Amino acid sequence: MALMILSFVSQLWALSLRGEQRGSCPLMDTGEYCLFLSWSLTLFYLLVGSTYRVSLLGMFTAPVVTVLLLVTGLPGVLDVNPVHANVLDYWGEVHAPLSVLSYGALALGAVAAVMFLVLNNFLKTGQMSSGLFQNMPPVHTLVGSMVRLTIVGLIFLTIGLVFGFFMSTDGGLHLWVAKVVWIAYLVLMAVWFIRGMTPQRMAMLLLVMFIASLSVFAAL
Amino acid sequence: MDLICIGLNHETAPVEVREKFAVPMEQLGVKSHELTELAGISEAVVISTCNRMEVYVASESVEEAEVSLKDKLDYAADNEHFYEFKSKDAMQHLCKVVSGLDSMVLGETEIFGQVKKAYQFAHGAAATGGILNKIFQKSFGVGKKVRTQTMIQNGQTSVGSVALDLAEKIFSDLKHSKVMVIGAGEMSRITVQSMVLRGVKKVYVTNRSFDKAQALADEVGGEAVRFDDWNKVLTEVDVVISSTGASEPVVTRAQIEAVRSKRKYRPLFIIDIAVPRDIDHEVGEIEEVYLYDLDTLQQQVEQGKAKREEQIAACEKIISKEVDGMAQTATNIKRKKYGNS
Repeated sequence: MALMILSFVSQLWALSLRGEQRGSCPLMDTGEYCLFLSWSLTLFYLLVGSTYRVSLLGMFTAPVVTVLLLVTGLPGVLDVNPVHANVLDYWGEVHAPLSVLSYGALALGAVAAVMFLVLNNFLKTGQMSSGLFQNMPPVHTLVGSMVRLTIVGLIFLTIGLVFGFFMSTDGGLHLWVAKVVWIAYLVLMAVWFIRGMTPQRMAMLLLVMFIASLSVFAAL
Repeated sequence: MDLICIGLNHETAPVEVREKFAVPMEQLGVKSHELTELAGISEAVVISTCNRMEVYVASESVEEAEVSLKDKLDYAADNEHFYEFKSKDAMQHLCKVVSGLDSMVLGETEIFGQVKKAYQFAHGAAATGGILNKIFQKSFGVGKKVRTQTMIQNGQTSVGSVALDLAEKIFSDLKHSKVMVIGAGEMSRITVQSMVLRGVKKVYVTNRSFDKAQALADEVGGEAVRFDDWNKVLTEVDVVISSTGASEPVVTRAQIEAVRSKRKYRPLFIIDIAVPRDIDHEVGEIEEVYLYDLDTLQQQVEQGKAKREEQIAACEKIISKEVDGMAQTATNIKRKKYGNS
Protein backbone atom coordinates (compact mmCIF):
# COMPACT_ATOMS: atom_id res chain seq x y z
CA MET A 1 0.00 0.00 0.00
CA ALA A 2 2.81 2.41 0.96
CA LEU A 3 4.56 1.68 -2.34
CA MET A 4 1.36 2.34 -4.27
CA ILE A 5 0.92 5.69 -2.48
CA LEU A 6 4.52 6.59 -3.29
CA SER A 7 3.97 5.56 -6.90
CA PHE A 8 0.76 7.61 -7.06
CA VAL A 9 2.51 10.75 -5.76
CA SER A 10 5.42 10.28 -8.20
CA GLN A 11 3.04 9.82 -11.15
CA LEU A 12 1.08 12.91 -10.11
CA TRP A 13 4.30 14.90 -9.93
CA ALA A 14 5.38 13.67 -13.39
CA LEU A 15 1.96 14.52 -14.82
CA SER A 16 2.03 18.02 -13.33
CA LEU A 17 5.50 18.60 -14.88
CA ARG A 18 4.20 17.47 -18.28
CA GLY A 19 1.11 19.62 -17.81
CA GLU A 20 3.29 22.66 -17.18
CA GLN A 21 5.41 21.93 -20.25
CA ARG A 22 2.31 21.40 -22.39
CA GLY A 23 0.31 24.27 -20.94
CA SER A 24 -2.65 21.88 -21.16
CA CYS A 25 -3.79 18.50 -19.94
CA PRO A 26 -0.86 16.10 -20.60
CA LEU A 27 -2.65 13.74 -22.95
CA MET A 28 -0.97 14.40 -26.28
CA ASP A 29 1.36 11.44 -26.87
CA THR A 30 1.35 7.70 -26.09
CA GLY A 31 3.67 8.15 -23.11
CA GLU A 32 1.33 10.67 -21.52
CA TYR A 33 -1.67 8.40 -22.12
CA CYS A 34 0.15 5.52 -20.42
CA LEU A 35 1.24 7.74 -17.53
CA PHE A 36 -2.25 9.19 -17.06
CA LEU A 37 -3.85 5.73 -17.26
CA SER A 38 -1.38 4.34 -14.75
CA TRP A 39 -2.10 7.29 -12.41
CA SER A 40 -5.84 6.79 -12.81
CA LEU A 41 -5.54 3.05 -12.14
CA THR A 42 -3.46 3.72 -9.02
CA LEU A 43 -5.98 6.34 -7.87
CA PHE A 44 -8.89 3.90 -8.11
CA TYR A 45 -6.86 1.17 -6.46
CA LEU A 46 -6.16 3.48 -3.52
CA LEU A 47 -9.84 4.41 -3.29
CA VAL A 48 -11.25 0.89 -3.72
CA GLY A 49 -8.45 -0.97 -1.94
CA SER A 50 -9.01 0.96 1.26
CA THR A 51 -12.81 1.23 1.02
CA TYR A 52 -13.63 -2.38 0.27
CA ARG A 53 -10.53 -3.89 1.85
CA VAL A 54 -9.96 -5.98 -1.25
CA SER A 55 -6.74 -7.64 -0.21
CA LEU A 56 -4.39 -8.82 -2.92
CA LEU A 57 -5.88 -6.31 -5.40
CA GLY A 58 -2.61 -4.42 -5.12
CA MET A 59 -0.66 -7.56 -6.03
CA PHE A 60 -2.65 -7.83 -9.25
CA THR A 61 -2.71 -4.07 -9.93
CA ALA A 62 0.98 -3.33 -9.36
CA PRO A 63 2.18 -5.33 -12.41
CA VAL A 64 -0.24 -3.46 -14.71
CA VAL A 65 0.94 -0.11 -13.31
CA THR A 66 4.55 -1.23 -13.73
CA VAL A 67 4.01 -2.25 -17.37
CA LEU A 68 2.32 1.08 -18.15
CA LEU A 69 5.17 3.01 -16.54
CA LEU A 70 7.75 0.90 -18.36
CA VAL A 71 6.03 1.66 -21.67
CA THR A 72 6.08 5.36 -20.74
CA GLY A 73 9.80 5.09 -20.12
CA LEU A 74 10.58 3.48 -23.49
CA PRO A 75 12.65 5.72 -25.79
CA GLY A 76 10.48 7.81 -28.09
CA VAL A 77 7.21 7.07 -26.31
CA LEU A 78 7.25 10.26 -24.28
CA ASP A 79 7.89 13.35 -26.39
CA VAL A 80 11.19 14.87 -25.16
CA ASN A 81 10.26 18.38 -26.29
CA PRO A 82 6.51 18.65 -25.81
CA VAL A 83 4.80 21.35 -27.84
CA HIS A 84 3.30 24.09 -25.69
CA ALA A 85 -0.39 24.63 -26.48
CA ASN A 86 -1.22 28.19 -27.60
CA VAL A 87 -4.98 27.77 -27.84
CA LEU A 88 -6.97 25.66 -25.43
CA ASP A 89 -10.17 23.78 -26.24
CA TYR A 90 -11.75 23.66 -22.81
CA TRP A 91 -14.28 20.95 -23.81
CA GLY A 92 -11.40 18.80 -24.97
CA GLU A 93 -9.43 19.60 -21.81
CA VAL A 94 -12.23 17.98 -19.78
CA HIS A 95 -13.11 15.23 -22.27
CA ALA A 96 -9.63 13.68 -22.46
CA PRO A 97 -8.81 13.38 -18.71
CA LEU A 98 -12.31 12.16 -17.85
CA SER A 99 -12.09 9.51 -20.55
CA VAL A 100 -8.69 8.31 -19.35
CA LEU A 101 -9.91 8.46 -15.75
CA SER A 102 -12.82 6.23 -16.74
CA TYR A 103 -10.29 3.78 -18.17
CA GLY A 104 -8.54 3.75 -14.79
CA ALA A 105 -11.76 2.49 -13.18
CA LEU A 106 -12.41 0.05 -16.03
CA ALA A 107 -8.82 -1.21 -15.81
CA LEU A 108 -9.22 -1.89 -12.11
CA GLY A 109 -12.53 -3.61 -12.88
CA ALA A 110 -10.63 -5.79 -15.34
CA VAL A 111 -8.02 -6.53 -12.65
CA ALA A 112 -10.83 -7.60 -10.29
CA ALA A 113 -12.19 -9.74 -13.15
CA VAL A 114 -8.82 -11.50 -13.50
CA MET A 115 -8.77 -12.11 -9.76
CA PHE A 116 -12.28 -13.54 -9.95
CA LEU A 117 -11.32 -15.87 -12.80
CA VAL A 118 -8.30 -17.13 -10.85
CA LEU A 119 -10.40 -17.70 -7.71
CA ASN A 120 -13.22 -19.29 -9.73
CA ASN A 121 -10.76 -21.72 -11.27
CA PHE A 122 -9.46 -22.68 -7.82
CA LEU A 123 -12.99 -23.24 -6.54
CA LYS A 124 -14.18 -25.19 -9.56
CA THR A 125 -11.15 -27.47 -9.68
CA GLY A 126 -10.93 -27.98 -5.93
CA GLN A 127 -7.39 -26.55 -5.66
CA MET A 128 -7.90 -24.85 -2.36
CA SER A 129 -4.71 -25.38 -0.43
CA SER A 130 -2.50 -22.70 -1.98
CA GLY A 131 -1.61 -19.51 -0.11
CA LEU A 132 -2.97 -17.46 -3.00
CA PHE A 133 -6.40 -19.08 -2.63
CA GLN A 134 -6.41 -18.58 1.14
CA ASN A 135 -5.63 -14.88 0.80
CA MET A 136 -8.03 -14.05 -2.01
CA PRO A 137 -11.18 -12.08 -1.21
CA PRO A 138 -14.52 -13.92 -1.53
CA VAL A 139 -16.33 -14.30 -4.87
CA HIS A 140 -19.09 -11.95 -3.68
CA THR A 141 -16.58 -9.16 -2.89
CA LEU A 142 -14.77 -9.53 -6.22
CA VAL A 143 -17.97 -9.55 -8.26
CA GLY A 144 -19.20 -6.51 -6.31
CA SER A 145 -15.93 -4.66 -7.01
CA MET A 146 -16.06 -5.58 -10.70
CA VAL A 147 -19.57 -4.18 -11.07
CA ARG A 148 -19.02 -1.04 -8.97
CA LEU A 149 -15.80 -0.15 -10.79
CA THR A 150 -17.46 -0.65 -14.17
CA ILE A 151 -20.32 1.63 -13.11
CA VAL A 152 -17.85 4.30 -11.96
CA GLY A 153 -15.94 3.92 -15.25
CA LEU A 154 -19.18 4.17 -17.21
CA ILE A 155 -20.18 7.36 -15.38
CA PHE A 156 -16.82 9.03 -16.15
CA LEU A 157 -16.99 7.74 -19.73
CA THR A 158 -20.49 9.19 -20.14
CA ILE A 159 -19.48 12.65 -18.88
CA GLY A 160 -16.30 12.52 -20.95
CA LEU A 161 -18.28 11.60 -24.03
CA VAL A 162 -20.76 14.45 -23.48
CA PHE A 163 -17.86 16.91 -23.30
CA GLY A 164 -16.44 15.28 -26.44
CA PHE A 165 -19.53 16.27 -28.42
CA PHE A 166 -18.82 19.96 -27.74
CA MET A 167 -15.16 19.89 -28.75
CA SER A 168 -14.18 22.40 -31.43
CA THR A 169 -12.41 19.72 -33.46
CA ASP A 170 -14.26 16.86 -35.07
CA GLY A 171 -13.72 13.77 -32.93
CA GLY A 172 -13.86 11.61 -36.07
CA LEU A 173 -13.25 7.88 -35.68
CA HIS A 174 -11.96 8.37 -32.14
CA LEU A 175 -15.35 9.68 -30.99
CA TRP A 176 -17.19 6.93 -32.85
CA VAL A 177 -15.12 4.25 -31.15
CA ALA A 178 -15.79 5.97 -27.82
CA LYS A 179 -19.53 5.82 -28.55
CA VAL A 180 -19.36 2.10 -29.37
CA VAL A 181 -17.37 1.40 -26.21
CA TRP A 182 -19.87 3.39 -24.14
CA ILE A 183 -22.83 1.48 -25.65
CA ALA A 184 -21.09 -1.86 -25.09
CA TYR A 185 -20.47 -1.16 -21.40
CA LEU A 186 -24.00 0.21 -20.99
CA VAL A 187 -25.53 -2.91 -22.55
CA LEU A 188 -23.33 -5.13 -20.39
CA MET A 189 -24.48 -3.39 -17.21
CA ALA A 190 -28.12 -3.46 -18.32
CA VAL A 191 -27.92 -7.21 -18.99
CA TRP A 192 -26.23 -7.76 -15.62
CA PHE A 193 -28.89 -5.92 -13.66
CA ILE A 194 -32.00 -6.83 -15.68
CA ARG A 195 -31.50 -10.30 -17.09
CA GLY A 196 -28.62 -11.48 -14.96
CA MET A 197 -25.40 -13.18 -16.07
CA THR A 198 -23.00 -15.69 -14.59
CA PRO A 199 -20.12 -13.95 -12.79
CA GLN A 200 -17.68 -15.92 -14.95
CA ARG A 201 -19.17 -14.60 -18.18
CA MET A 202 -19.29 -11.08 -16.76
CA ALA A 203 -15.61 -11.26 -15.76
CA MET A 204 -14.54 -12.58 -19.17
CA LEU A 205 -16.56 -9.94 -21.02
CA LEU A 206 -15.13 -7.14 -18.85
CA LEU A 207 -11.62 -8.35 -19.55
CA VAL A 208 -12.14 -8.78 -23.30
CA MET A 209 -13.93 -5.44 -23.65
CA PHE A 210 -11.24 -3.57 -21.76
CA ILE A 211 -8.36 -5.08 -23.72
CA ALA A 212 -10.16 -4.74 -27.07
CA SER A 213 -11.23 -1.12 -26.58
CA LEU A 214 -7.83 -0.08 -25.24
CA SER A 215 -6.13 -1.75 -28.22
CA VAL A 216 -8.42 0.04 -30.67
CA PHE A 217 -7.81 3.42 -29.01
CA ALA A 218 -4.05 2.77 -29.02
CA ALA A 219 -4.15 1.92 -32.73
CA LEU A 220 -6.05 5.11 -33.64
CA MET B 1 10.04 -27.52 45.28
CA ASP B 2 9.21 -29.54 42.20
CA LEU B 3 6.38 -29.92 39.73
CA ILE B 4 4.32 -33.06 39.10
CA CYS B 5 1.60 -33.61 36.53
CA ILE B 6 -0.68 -36.65 36.68
CA GLY B 7 -3.54 -37.01 34.23
CA LEU B 8 -5.40 -38.88 31.56
CA ASN B 9 -6.73 -37.85 28.16
CA HIS B 10 -8.60 -39.05 25.08
CA GLU B 11 -5.58 -41.06 23.96
CA THR B 12 -4.98 -42.91 27.19
CA ALA B 13 -8.48 -43.38 28.57
CA PRO B 14 -11.88 -44.26 27.09
CA VAL B 15 -14.80 -41.98 27.72
CA GLU B 16 -16.16 -44.12 30.63
CA VAL B 17 -12.91 -43.60 32.50
CA ARG B 18 -12.72 -39.89 31.62
CA GLU B 19 -16.27 -39.45 32.88
CA LYS B 20 -15.30 -40.99 36.21
CA PHE B 21 -12.55 -38.43 36.75
CA ALA B 22 -14.31 -35.42 35.27
CA VAL B 23 -14.63 -32.42 37.58
CA PRO B 24 -17.44 -29.89 36.99
CA MET B 25 -16.08 -26.45 36.15
CA GLU B 26 -17.56 -24.78 39.24
CA GLN B 27 -15.72 -27.29 41.47
CA LEU B 28 -12.28 -26.85 39.91
CA GLY B 29 -11.21 -24.29 42.54
CA VAL B 30 -12.49 -26.35 45.48
CA LYS B 31 -10.87 -29.54 44.20
CA SER B 32 -7.58 -27.74 43.61
CA HIS B 33 -7.68 -26.37 47.14
CA GLU B 34 -8.47 -29.83 48.56
CA LEU B 35 -5.28 -31.14 46.97
CA THR B 36 -3.15 -28.51 48.72
CA GLU B 37 -4.32 -29.95 52.02
CA LEU B 38 -2.71 -33.30 51.22
CA ALA B 39 0.70 -34.19 52.58
CA GLY B 40 3.62 -32.86 50.50
CA ILE B 41 1.50 -30.68 48.18
CA SER B 42 1.77 -26.94 48.49
CA GLU B 43 0.12 -25.75 45.26
CA ALA B 44 -2.35 -27.39 42.86
CA VAL B 45 -4.35 -26.79 39.69
CA VAL B 46 -6.97 -29.23 38.42
CA ILE B 47 -7.82 -29.13 34.72
CA SER B 48 -10.91 -30.94 33.49
CA THR B 49 -12.33 -30.89 29.96
CA CYS B 50 -14.28 -33.48 27.98
CA ASN B 51 -11.02 -34.91 26.65
CA ARG B 52 -8.75 -34.71 29.68
CA MET B 53 -8.35 -34.47 33.42
CA GLU B 54 -4.98 -33.35 34.70
CA VAL B 55 -3.61 -32.33 38.04
CA TYR B 56 -0.56 -30.10 38.37
CA VAL B 57 0.98 -29.86 41.80
CA ALA B 58 4.01 -28.09 43.22
CA SER B 59 5.62 -30.03 45.97
CA GLU B 60 8.49 -29.77 48.41
CA SER B 61 8.64 -33.54 48.61
CA VAL B 62 7.97 -35.24 45.31
CA GLU B 63 7.69 -38.76 46.72
CA GLU B 64 5.28 -37.73 49.45
CA ALA B 65 3.16 -35.67 47.02
CA GLU B 66 3.06 -38.51 44.52
CA VAL B 67 1.79 -40.96 47.12
CA SER B 68 -0.92 -38.71 48.50
CA LEU B 69 -2.01 -37.58 45.03
CA LYS B 70 -2.25 -41.11 43.67
CA ASP B 71 -4.11 -42.17 46.77
CA LYS B 72 -6.59 -39.32 46.34
CA LEU B 73 -7.11 -40.16 42.65
CA ASP B 74 -7.56 -43.87 43.38
CA TYR B 75 -4.73 -44.28 40.92
CA ALA B 76 -4.26 -48.01 41.48
CA ALA B 77 -7.66 -48.88 40.04
CA ASP B 78 -7.04 -47.13 36.72
CA ASN B 79 -3.27 -46.75 36.62
CA GLU B 80 -2.95 -47.96 33.02
CA HIS B 81 -4.87 -44.87 31.85
CA PHE B 82 -2.74 -42.30 33.67
CA TYR B 83 0.40 -40.54 32.55
CA GLU B 84 2.84 -38.75 34.78
CA PHE B 85 5.37 -36.01 34.14
CA LYS B 86 7.81 -34.35 36.49
CA SER B 87 9.80 -31.09 36.52
CA LYS B 88 10.71 -29.87 33.02
CA ASP B 89 8.66 -32.66 31.40
CA ALA B 90 5.58 -31.49 33.28
CA MET B 91 6.20 -27.90 32.11
CA GLN B 92 6.66 -29.09 28.57
CA HIS B 93 3.44 -31.09 28.73
CA LEU B 94 1.52 -28.10 30.07
CA CYS B 95 2.81 -25.93 27.22
CA LYS B 96 1.78 -28.58 24.69
CA VAL B 97 -1.69 -28.77 26.20
CA VAL B 98 -2.11 -24.99 26.19
CA SER B 99 -0.88 -24.80 22.58
CA GLY B 100 -3.36 -27.46 21.43
CA LEU B 101 -0.60 -29.94 20.51
CA ASP B 102 -2.05 -32.56 22.85
CA SER B 103 -5.65 -32.03 21.73
CA MET B 104 -7.84 -34.41 19.76
CA VAL B 105 -8.07 -31.74 17.03
CA LEU B 106 -4.48 -30.61 16.64
CA GLY B 107 -4.05 -26.88 17.22
CA GLU B 108 -7.60 -26.27 18.48
CA THR B 109 -7.98 -23.06 20.46
CA GLU B 110 -10.66 -23.93 23.01
CA ILE B 111 -8.19 -25.70 25.31
CA PHE B 112 -6.30 -22.44 25.89
CA GLY B 113 -9.38 -20.85 27.47
CA GLN B 114 -10.22 -24.02 29.42
CA VAL B 115 -6.76 -24.21 31.02
CA LYS B 116 -6.83 -20.49 31.76
CA LYS B 117 -10.21 -20.85 33.46
CA ALA B 118 -9.01 -23.85 35.49
CA TYR B 119 -5.98 -21.84 36.63
CA GLN B 120 -8.17 -18.86 37.53
CA PHE B 121 -10.45 -21.10 39.64
CA ALA B 122 -7.44 -22.59 41.45
CA HIS B 123 -5.92 -19.14 41.95
CA GLY B 124 -9.25 -17.85 43.24
CA ALA B 125 -9.39 -20.72 45.75
CA ALA B 126 -5.87 -19.84 46.97
CA ALA B 127 -4.56 -23.18 45.67
CA THR B 128 -1.69 -21.64 43.70
CA GLY B 129 1.48 -19.91 44.84
CA GLY B 130 4.80 -18.66 43.49
CA ILE B 131 5.63 -21.73 41.39
CA LEU B 132 2.33 -22.57 39.69
CA ASN B 133 1.45 -18.90 39.18
CA LYS B 134 4.69 -18.35 37.26
CA ILE B 135 4.51 -21.62 35.35
CA PHE B 136 0.89 -21.25 34.24
CA GLN B 137 1.30 -17.58 33.29
CA LYS B 138 4.42 -18.44 31.30
CA SER B 139 2.61 -21.33 29.62
CA PHE B 140 -0.13 -18.96 28.42
CA GLY B 141 2.56 -16.78 26.89
CA VAL B 142 4.04 -19.85 25.19
CA GLY B 143 0.60 -20.87 23.91
CA LYS B 144 0.10 -17.43 22.33
CA LYS B 145 3.59 -17.50 20.86
CA VAL B 146 3.03 -20.94 19.30
CA ARG B 147 -0.24 -19.82 17.71
CA THR B 148 1.12 -16.56 16.37
CA GLN B 149 4.56 -17.72 15.24
CA THR B 150 3.49 -20.98 13.59
CA MET B 151 0.64 -22.03 11.31
CA ILE B 152 -0.73 -24.61 13.74
CA GLN B 153 -4.23 -23.13 13.39
CA ASN B 154 -4.19 -23.06 9.58
CA GLY B 155 -6.41 -25.38 7.59
CA GLN B 156 -9.73 -26.84 8.66
CA THR B 157 -9.97 -30.19 10.37
CA SER B 158 -13.63 -31.16 9.96
CA VAL B 159 -16.00 -31.51 7.01
CA GLY B 160 -18.37 -28.97 8.57
CA SER B 161 -15.73 -26.29 9.01
CA VAL B 162 -14.37 -26.85 5.48
CA ALA B 163 -17.93 -26.40 4.13
CA LEU B 164 -18.33 -23.22 6.18
CA ASP B 165 -15.02 -21.81 4.97
CA LEU B 166 -15.97 -22.51 1.37
CA ALA B 167 -19.38 -20.90 1.81
CA GLU B 168 -17.70 -17.79 3.19
CA LYS B 169 -15.16 -17.83 0.34
CA ILE B 170 -18.09 -17.53 -2.04
CA PHE B 171 -20.62 -15.37 -0.20
CA SER B 172 -18.31 -13.46 2.14
CA ASP B 173 -20.93 -13.11 4.84
CA LEU B 174 -23.52 -15.83 5.41
CA LYS B 175 -25.89 -13.33 7.05
CA HIS B 176 -27.40 -12.60 3.65
CA SER B 177 -27.51 -16.22 2.49
CA LYS B 178 -30.42 -18.63 2.41
CA VAL B 179 -29.78 -22.34 2.90
CA MET B 180 -31.78 -25.39 1.84
CA VAL B 181 -31.16 -28.74 3.50
CA ILE B 182 -32.27 -31.83 1.60
CA GLY B 183 -32.51 -34.77 3.99
CA ALA B 184 -32.87 -34.40 7.73
CA GLY B 185 -30.15 -36.80 8.87
CA GLU B 186 -27.34 -36.28 11.37
CA MET B 187 -24.81 -34.95 8.85
CA SER B 188 -27.32 -32.40 7.58
CA ARG B 189 -28.09 -31.34 11.13
CA ILE B 190 -24.42 -30.82 12.06
CA THR B 191 -23.62 -28.86 8.89
CA VAL B 192 -26.70 -26.65 8.97
CA GLN B 193 -26.28 -25.97 12.68
CA SER B 194 -22.79 -24.59 12.08
CA MET B 195 -24.21 -22.36 9.34
CA VAL B 196 -27.00 -21.19 11.65
CA LEU B 197 -24.33 -20.22 14.19
CA ARG B 198 -22.75 -18.03 11.49
CA GLY B 199 -26.12 -16.28 11.19
CA VAL B 200 -27.58 -17.45 7.86
CA LYS B 201 -30.65 -15.47 6.83
CA LYS B 202 -33.05 -18.37 6.34
CA VAL B 203 -33.02 -22.18 6.45
CA TYR B 204 -35.38 -24.43 4.50
CA VAL B 205 -35.51 -28.13 5.36
CA THR B 206 -36.95 -30.75 3.05
CA ASN B 207 -37.17 -34.49 3.55
CA ARG B 208 -39.21 -37.39 2.15
CA SER B 209 -40.74 -37.68 5.61
CA PHE B 210 -42.21 -34.23 6.25
CA ASP B 211 -42.32 -34.80 10.02
CA LYS B 212 -38.55 -35.22 10.14
CA ALA B 213 -38.12 -32.08 8.04
CA GLN B 214 -40.40 -30.21 10.43
CA ALA B 215 -38.46 -31.48 13.45
CA LEU B 216 -35.10 -30.31 12.06
CA ALA B 217 -36.61 -27.03 10.88
CA ASP B 218 -37.94 -26.40 14.38
CA GLU B 219 -34.56 -27.23 15.86
CA VAL B 220 -32.66 -24.75 13.68
CA GLY B 221 -35.38 -22.12 13.47
CA GLY B 222 -36.06 -22.81 9.79
CA GLU B 223 -39.01 -23.65 7.57
CA ALA B 224 -40.00 -27.17 6.49
CA VAL B 225 -40.75 -27.67 2.80
CA ARG B 226 -42.56 -30.67 1.31
CA PHE B 227 -40.23 -32.88 -0.73
CA ASP B 228 -42.25 -32.32 -3.91
CA ASP B 229 -41.89 -28.54 -3.54
CA TRP B 230 -38.16 -28.05 -2.96
CA ASN B 231 -37.61 -27.02 -6.61
CA LYS B 232 -39.63 -23.86 -5.92
CA VAL B 233 -37.33 -22.90 -3.05
CA LEU B 234 -34.25 -23.47 -5.22
CA THR B 235 -34.76 -20.10 -6.91
CA GLU B 236 -34.10 -18.18 -3.74
CA VAL B 237 -31.42 -20.17 -1.89
CA ASP B 238 -27.66 -19.66 -2.09
CA VAL B 239 -26.52 -22.85 -0.38
CA VAL B 240 -27.84 -26.42 -0.74
CA ILE B 241 -26.79 -29.12 1.71
CA SER B 242 -27.85 -32.58 0.62
CA SER B 243 -27.60 -35.72 2.68
CA THR B 244 -30.35 -38.19 1.91
CA GLY B 245 -30.24 -41.97 1.78
CA ALA B 246 -31.40 -42.04 -1.83
CA SER B 247 -29.68 -44.46 -4.20
CA GLU B 248 -30.31 -42.26 -7.26
CA PRO B 249 -29.38 -38.57 -7.68
CA VAL B 250 -31.91 -36.29 -5.99
CA VAL B 251 -30.75 -33.12 -7.76
CA THR B 252 -30.15 -33.28 -11.50
CA ARG B 253 -28.60 -30.87 -13.99
CA ALA B 254 -32.01 -30.31 -15.63
CA GLN B 255 -33.51 -29.16 -12.31
CA ILE B 256 -30.79 -26.56 -11.81
CA GLU B 257 -30.84 -25.46 -15.46
CA ALA B 258 -34.59 -24.87 -15.13
CA VAL B 259 -34.14 -22.23 -12.41
CA ARG B 260 -30.95 -20.53 -13.63
CA SER B 261 -32.61 -17.55 -15.30
CA LYS B 262 -35.00 -17.06 -12.38
CA ARG B 263 -31.96 -17.02 -10.10
CA LYS B 264 -30.34 -14.47 -12.44
CA TYR B 265 -27.34 -16.81 -12.63
CA ARG B 266 -26.31 -16.08 -9.02
CA PRO B 267 -23.67 -18.38 -7.52
CA LEU B 268 -25.06 -21.57 -5.99
CA PHE B 269 -22.97 -23.48 -3.47
CA ILE B 270 -23.91 -27.16 -3.17
CA ILE B 271 -22.55 -29.52 -0.53
CA ASP B 272 -23.27 -33.17 -1.22
CA ILE B 273 -22.48 -35.13 1.91
CA ALA B 274 -24.47 -38.20 0.98
CA VAL B 275 -23.07 -41.60 0.06
CA PRO B 276 -24.10 -42.54 -2.60
CA ARG B 277 -24.09 -38.97 -3.90
CA ASP B 278 -27.35 -37.02 -4.09
CA ILE B 279 -26.27 -34.51 -6.70
CA ASP B 280 -25.65 -35.50 -10.30
CA HIS B 281 -21.96 -34.70 -10.97
CA GLU B 282 -22.97 -32.82 -14.15
CA VAL B 283 -24.51 -30.13 -11.92
CA GLY B 284 -20.95 -29.03 -11.11
CA GLU B 285 -20.37 -28.21 -14.78
CA ILE B 286 -22.87 -25.35 -14.62
CA GLU B 287 -20.85 -22.11 -14.56
CA GLU B 288 -22.25 -20.52 -11.41
CA VAL B 289 -22.53 -23.78 -9.42
CA TYR B 290 -19.85 -24.72 -6.91
CA LEU B 291 -20.42 -28.40 -6.13
CA TYR B 292 -18.46 -30.30 -3.49
CA ASP B 293 -18.99 -33.90 -2.47
CA LEU B 294 -17.85 -35.66 0.66
CA ASP B 295 -14.59 -36.85 -0.93
CA THR B 296 -13.57 -33.31 -1.93
CA LEU B 297 -14.40 -31.96 1.51
CA GLN B 298 -12.61 -34.85 3.20
CA GLN B 299 -9.58 -34.19 1.02
CA GLN B 300 -9.52 -30.62 2.32
CA VAL B 301 -9.77 -31.93 5.88
CA GLU B 302 -6.80 -34.23 5.30
CA GLN B 303 -4.79 -31.37 3.81
CA GLY B 304 -5.70 -29.20 6.79
CA LYS B 305 -4.60 -31.88 9.22
CA ALA B 306 -1.39 -32.50 7.28
CA LYS B 307 -0.63 -28.77 7.32
CA ARG B 308 -1.04 -28.68 11.08
CA GLU B 309 1.07 -31.79 11.56
CA GLU B 310 3.84 -30.17 9.55
CA GLN B 311 3.89 -27.42 12.17
CA ILE B 312 4.42 -29.70 15.16
CA ALA B 313 8.21 -29.58 14.95
CA ALA B 314 8.20 -25.77 14.81
CA CYS B 315 5.84 -25.62 17.80
CA GLU B 316 7.92 -28.04 19.83
CA LYS B 317 11.04 -26.01 19.10
CA ILE B 318 9.40 -22.89 20.55
CA ILE B 319 8.12 -24.86 23.54
CA SER B 320 11.43 -26.48 24.46
CA LYS B 321 13.18 -23.09 24.23
CA GLU B 322 10.59 -21.50 26.48
CA VAL B 323 10.54 -24.42 28.92
CA ASP B 324 14.25 -23.86 29.62
CA GLY B 325 13.35 -20.34 30.73
CA MET B 326 10.41 -21.62 32.79
CA ALA B 327 12.63 -24.16 34.54
CA GLN B 328 15.12 -21.43 35.34
CA THR B 329 12.36 -19.26 36.78
CA ALA B 330 11.13 -22.15 38.94
CA THR B 331 14.68 -22.72 40.20
CA ASN B 332 15.06 -19.03 41.06
CA ILE B 333 11.80 -19.06 43.04
CA LYS B 334 12.92 -22.19 44.86
CA ARG B 335 16.31 -20.62 45.70
CA LYS B 336 14.64 -17.45 46.90
CA LYS B 337 12.33 -19.44 49.15
CA TYR B 338 14.73 -22.03 50.49
CA GLY B 339 18.18 -20.59 49.79
CA ASN B 340 20.94 -22.35 47.89
CA SER B 341 20.73 -25.45 50.06
